[in-house]
Amino acid sequence: MAKFPRFLTLPIAAVMIVSACGGGGSPAPAGGSTAPGGSTAAGSGAPAGSGVTGATITVTSLWGGSEQEAFQKVLDEFKAKTGNTATYQAQRTDYSTVLQSKITSGSPPVVAIMPGLGFLRQFARSGGIKKISDLGIDPASLEANYPPGILDTGKVDGELYGIMVKFNSKSTFWYRPDKLTAAGASTPKSWDDLKSLITTLQGKGDATPLALGAKDSWTLTDWFEEVYLRQNGPDAYKKLFSADGDWTDPTVSKALDTMKEVLTDKNVPGGITGALGVAFTDGIAQVFGTTAKADLYYEGGFVGGIATGQTNKALEIGKTIDWFDFPTFGGPGDTAAEIGGDEIAALTTNPGVKEFIQFMTDADSGSTWAKTGAIISPVKAVDASNYPNELAKKEAAQVAGASAVVYDGSDTLPAGAPDMGAMLQDVVQGKDTASLLKTFNDGVKSAWAGEK
Amino acid sequence: MTATPVMVSPPKARRVRHERTGWGTVLLFLAPALVLLLIFLVYPTLSTLRMSVDRGLGGNFSRFVGLDNYISLLNTPSFVGSIVNNVLWIVFYTTFVILFGLAIAVVAMRVRYESTIKAIVFLPMAIAATALGVIWAFVYATDSNIGLLNALLGVIRIGPISWLGNPSFVNAALIAVGIWGSTGFATVILSAALKGIPTEILEAARTDGANEFQIFWRIIVPMVSLPISVLAVTLIVNVIKLFDIPYVMTQGGPGNASRVIAFEMYKQDFAAGLYGKAAAVAVIMLILLIPVMIFNVRRFRSSAVV
Repeated sequence: MAKFPRFLTLPIAAVMIVSACGGGGSPAPAGGSTAPGGSTAAGSGAPAGSGVTGATITVTSLWGGSEQEAFQKVLDEFKAKTGNTATYQAQRTDYSTVLQSKITSGSPPVVAIMPGLGFLRQFARSGGIKKISDLGIDPASLEANYPPGILDTGKVDGELYGIMVKFNSKSTFWYRPDKLTAAGASTPKSWDDLKSLITTLQGKGDATPLALGAKDSWTLTDWFEEVYLRQNGPDAYKKLFSADGDWTDPTVSKALDTMKEVLTDKNVPGGITGALGVAFTDGIAQVFGTTAKADLYYEGGFVGGIATGQTNKALEIGKTIDWFDFPTFGGPGDTAAEIGGDEIAALTTNPGVKEFIQFMTDADSGSTWAKTGAIISPVKAVDASNYPNELAKKEAAQVAGASAVVYDGSDTLPAGAPDMGAMLQDVVQGKDTASLLKTFNDGVKSAWAGEK
Repeated sequence: MTATPVMVSPPKARRVRHERTGWGTVLLFLAPALVLLLIFLVYPTLSTLRMSVDRGLGGNFSRFVGLDNYISLLNTPSFVGSIVNNVLWIVFYTTFVILFGLAIAVVAMRVRYESTIKAIVFLPMAIAATALGVIWAFVYATDSNIGLLNALLGVIRIGPISWLGNPSFVNAALIAVGIWGSTGFATVILSAALKGIPTEILEAARTDGANEFQIFWRIIVPMVSLPISVLAVTLIVNVIKLFDIPYVMTQGGPGNASRVIAFEMYKQDFAAGLYGKAAAVAVIMLILLIPVMIFNVRRFRSSAVV
């Protein structure tokens, strides 16, 4: 028999190494082999070994620009405090898409900070992400750090998989104080107040005072969620966005009709079809830009940072930009607040991951991050004085003072549900709501069923 | 052997050699191409077919669902709508790209600065489709301070029109972008074909008293009909796999008004994590392409391509 061809040895060895490393979803054994992070942490590959130093982990999320700089400060502090290095990897667009394919292909990032709970659930069930308890962190020990309900958002089938690290209120209605003062109007409390405010502003020459950036259809899902929450209260809201939700329920079409009372051709710049061609940020510019033509814009707390940081740097808080609570209906949801937030989740149990997750749940990291003005921290011990401006302070106080906090519903729907935003784009155009809701309900139901 | 038999025997010798070539040799020579085809075409196709009958949630193919994916897709209004939109694209995009391409090629041939004109028309081909989408999203913007088109319309006191927000305009607006981007390609191909028409024929026609219109319709068009059909097939294939322009410019909206098949596949696959359903969309795309492929292969067989 001929000699084994030498040129084949290297490729075969390589294949063997690769297949040895790619071994399935089981957690790395204690003191195990190579950690993908290139860690040299002494002997303890297992999560049980606390006080690891010198480990390197990759954290991925979807922030860039000023948001990324703000987060880098948090990572710097992590290094200073624990001696471990966390490097940030930005994935600006199609975040869940890319994460999905990285997990599927077997080379996930070490830690991901992900928006949307539908994906968190899916990854948790498919084994893509680790339980917090698998890291050696006792979920019960974290409860005290957070206001009630916050940790629940990261639970899947009763187990904690993700921890919310930042959020924004979605119950903020942005406006131009100067324009309202000029019109002799005050900020509206109830839905009827909002309607009469719009009429007042129209009487003062602002023909279309209510901006809407509905080309990005998620602005409409937020509109619907706020109205539904205010009208029906947090319990009904949570039910609607759960597997038991019934989208053909009359409360849903009532909320949609309510939305359409103000989202009309008459109130919105360019009419509804015009607004369907306006992106979220362009909608901000319609109110806070230098050639502004509208006075009101509903969207989450993050509008403040974008408006003052990008749209128009000359804005003055309290004079040309401010927000009021989303108007109320005298119903069970008047004092509730809706938030949208990002959850941190571990995709591996590499050394340093436990330390990083623990670090992200404490007040120091929350304060550092809050001081940048980029986020509102869910950690209770983060003092309001950390927020750099009034808009953020108010936002933190609104959520802290809410009687109940609910999570952005459209981010909670299962992967595979029909596109809620697209459905709402059809609704605001005046298409038949009942049949749209029926189709949507069927799709959502089968997506919930399929998730199991 | 002497020199004389050599002169007589070559045909014989060849025949002998031919008879010796068995299947083994044939396969040996075909193998490189066959292996590549098997790996990169046949296997993925079969694998896609297999995936399309599985739920495939999050890339986990362990739940056979039969034809459920197909049934559910054909009952999804947005999917049926996306097929209709693709038909709109095929009809209008293909027609106008060929019409404009032919018109520009014919007209440009008659002027001195032909190459300059062709270069300008060809320029959009050098722009990536995503960039094309971003540029045109600005052109279509409703704010006339940004949107060129609405600024122009504003001069004659029309609008502003929400090109991308109005379901009745959005497809036309997107198809126009596609036409703008592809006309250069058609111009270059057809221009080369036109150059291939012998001038004697045109001169003979003129001598016989044919006017320019008659020459165009009776001589030029029939003589470039083969390149036109090849071009049409290429464009149709492009349309069926079209994704970038709707993705960048409208995300399929407003509602589902501008979704196309490939966008639907993306939505099912990546956005929803339903790999099985996405594979079913891919299979439907393949089925839609089969008639086009058959047409193309027949064309190749029936006559030589320019």
